[in-house]
Amino acid sequence: MKTLIELDINGRVHEVAVDARDLLIDVIRKKAGLTGTKKGCGEGDCGACTVLIDGKPELSCIKLAIACQGKKITTIEGLVQEGGTLHPIQQAFVDKGAVQCGFCTPGMVMSAKGLLDRIPHPSEHEIKHEMSGNICRCTGYKKIIEAVQAAADVWSEQGVE
Amino acid sequence: MFLNHFEYFAPKTPAETLELVSHLGSKAKILAGGTDLLIVMKSKAISPEYLIDINGVEEFKGILCEPGKGAVIGTNTKLAEIQYSEELKAKYPALAYAAGEVGSSQVRHMASLGGNSCNASPAAETPTPLAALGAKVTLESLSGTRELALEDFILGVRKLDLAEGEMLTKFTLPEPAAKSACRYAYMGRRDAMEIDSVNMAVNIELEPDGETIKSLKLVMGSVYPRPLVSKEVPALLTGQKLSAELVEKAAEAAQGEAKPIDDIRASAEYRREIVKVLAQRLLNDTYQAAKGV
Repeated sequence: MKTLIELDINGRVHEVAVDARDLLIDVIRKKAGLTGTKKGCGEGDCGACTVLIDGKPELSCIKLAIACQGKKITTIEGLVQEGGTLHPIQQAFVDKGAVQCGFCTPGMVMSAKGLLDRIPHPSEHEIKHEMSGNICRCTGYKKIIEAVQAAADVWSEQGVE
Repeated sequence: MFLNHFEYFAPKTPAETLELVSHLGSKAKILAGGTDLLIVMKSKAISPEYLIDINGVEEFKGILCEPGKGAVIGTNTKLAEIQYSEELKAKYPALAYAAGEVGSSQVRHMASLGGNSCNASPAAETPTPLAALGAKVTLESLSGTRELALEDFILGVRKLDLAEGEMLTKFTLPEPAAKSACRYAYMGRRDAMEIDSVNMAVNIELEPDGETIKSLKLVMGSVYPRPLVSKEVPALLTGQKLSAELVEKAAEAAQGEAKPIDDIRASAEYRREIVKVLAQRLLNDTYQAAKGV
């Protein structure tokens, strides 16, 4: 049986009909049409599906959509800056060459956002520890760590949201 | 991978929750973080008819940690909150550290302390330090409330001392004694997103002389169907001042008590070796910490 619910995704309220068993990742991709968020392993191990829920990084592939009513969901599309420019974290990923095939990138960026919102100047160890739930099978981790560090520097200069 | 159909309930109060738990019984599962539950539902290992989502119940969340009064932690407190809590880091560093080593950042923001115990996996991280710290669980139902030591609550693999209609609502930790310390350590094949091969926590309280062991608790995880509380190590070390020789003996005693199995994560033989290594390391570190060194 479908239930009509409202989901706040990137500040826009989406009215969607969901079954209790519908996963947030599928609703984001198929019903809200936001395909930036990727579905990787489907069992909470790879981090490709990471979105922010009330500012905290969570795994949308093991999250029920119906449980997200009244919460603020942020996906990679929600990071876009005024005038359509890239968010400083995205820009840092581009500048540092931290994107290879790109499949893990949206999850990586959302995890980095969750981390930098909590710790504006993370150490290398903190970056590794807090982003270990995002797997890059191109294995370009060094550049990703550099990108997060570069984003942290911009962050402190601009105080970007 | 999709989930089988189920009916979803989102109670707002403890009373509503207990009503549902009582009414729906074993056909229902409680949804807290879902990081274990949804995985087993996706694999169709279980197909509950009802899910009771307790994330809307404020009373089940939060950490109350006041000086001199121990701590009370709600069942649905997220592991990330425990990892980051300054109060818990100061008073119960073993618990905060263990919570911060579970899964990934995402998992820790979703998963709850109660779930980590109620999942009753022998390899769970937080039950080990909780048992070492003397944590008690509060089990509530419509007909009343009871309290159990955590190590008596977890009976075995996926087995709890939990009657139908009952649910775990909070953990109560006693105030650490003066001249005491508790530490946690683990070993896995790698650091990230790994489930422990062996984990262990040691809690030592010293006599007022600051050297003689007044009481000691050593708890092992992942080497027994439930958190294994050592009987032999306290028998060897209580009333003693720690020496290299005693550490060696105690670590061997712990090794003898552990009953590990071979599985995907490690062999029994390796686990037995690691029990000794972790016991040596933790006994020394915890003793030093209790001495205030």
